[in-house]
Amino acid sequence: MSLYQLHRCVYDWVRAGEVSDKGGDAGREGFDASVYELTDDEKKAFETKDVAALYQLGLHAVLLNRFCRAAGFARDEYRKILEPFGSTERRRGRWQT
Amino acid sequence: MADIVLAYCSSHAPMMSSAREAAPEQQRNNFFGALDWIRDEAASRGVQACVVLSNEHFTNFFLENFPQTCIGLGERNWGPTEEWLPIDKMWIPGHPGLANHIAQHTLNAGFDPAFSHQLELDHGIMTVYYELDHDMKLPLVPIVQNCAVPPLMPVRRAYEFGKALGDAIRSYDGLDRVAVIGAGGLSHWIGTPRVGDIDEEFDRWFLDRLERGELDQVLDMPDEEIELAGNGNHEMRSWLAVAGAVAPTPARKLAYEPIYPWITGMAVAEFETAAPPAR
Repeated sequence: MSLYQLHRCVYDWVRAGEVSDKGGDAGREGFDASVYELTDDEKKAFETKDVAALYQLGLHAVLLNRFCRAAGFARDEYRKILEPFGSTERRRGRWQT
Repeated sequence: MADIVLAYCSSHAPMMSSAREAAPEQQRNNFFGALDWIRDEAASRGVQACVVLSNEHFTNFFLENFPQTCIGLGERNWGPTEEWLPIDKMWIPGHPGLANHIAQHTLNAGFDPAFSHQLELDHGIMTVYYELDHDMKLPLVPIVQNCAVPPLMPVRRAYEFGKALGDAIRSYDGLDRVAVIGAGGLSHWIGTPRVGDIDEEFDRWFLDRLERGELDQVLDMPDEEIELAGNGNHEMRSWLAVAGAVAPTPARKLAYEPIYPWITGMAVAEFETAAPPAR
């Protein structure tokens, strides 16, 4: 339940800054995260733009990517943040010789 | 009846627009050179409308309702949505006649596409569409596919949907010359510790299969294996739908460049469709 709320919060925040055909959006400046039912950890991760915490909390990768972009993280920056969570891939695809 | 006079696929990394100069010059020239050739061919073949398939990146749909396929039926759609993407934001003309025909035909063929009378188009469609028509006046039927949020449509079914899509276009009598385009892929990772990696071996293997017309091994791939070449690799569904639309026509690679500054294996491939009838 809560993870959905986190996704909804991040999604709404990202979309608030995008260029909609409808116009008149308040933008990200006035975004109010208090309307979402977030745990303390989720609230803190969102409000402090803690990319590592959002990743560990299970935010969808596509949404995390959009969050990073909207929050001003360059790709190299957020790769460095996420790299410690990577693991060696032992599986092989059929294309791998 | 309409002919598919142009069928091709192209990667759609947003950096191809937002950080164009970040790519090494030779790679950039090769990639855009292929898209320039496509644009010239579209003009010379008299393309009247295009159908573009691409991934839904949480732009139109969210977790309350996430269709596997959604056809844009509207008279117009809005894009691009990304504030940082340097493509003019505007209403893009749709083609309701063709779009409704595709929806009805694919429903009759056993698929269950969602539909929308107004989609918002992100980089997934807009980067490739812009390279096709810088004026962005060519009527566009967008088809967004779920290539990101499990459970996903199996790739073989995406290919079969493409077959029905091709039949739909060819049975439409409101146009003569239509382009069908897949936008996305090839290997890339986003929002993960491997962001920035490219699996060149996969990309070349995939393109080779398309060129040989040997798709069985690709169509058998489960999602867990597809992801070994990146979570963005699920966008192969757009390529395979186009392959289905013109099957059994093989592809011809026009460009492949692993462009690390754009974090993506960037490719353009054309399917050599029949020459259009004289106009």
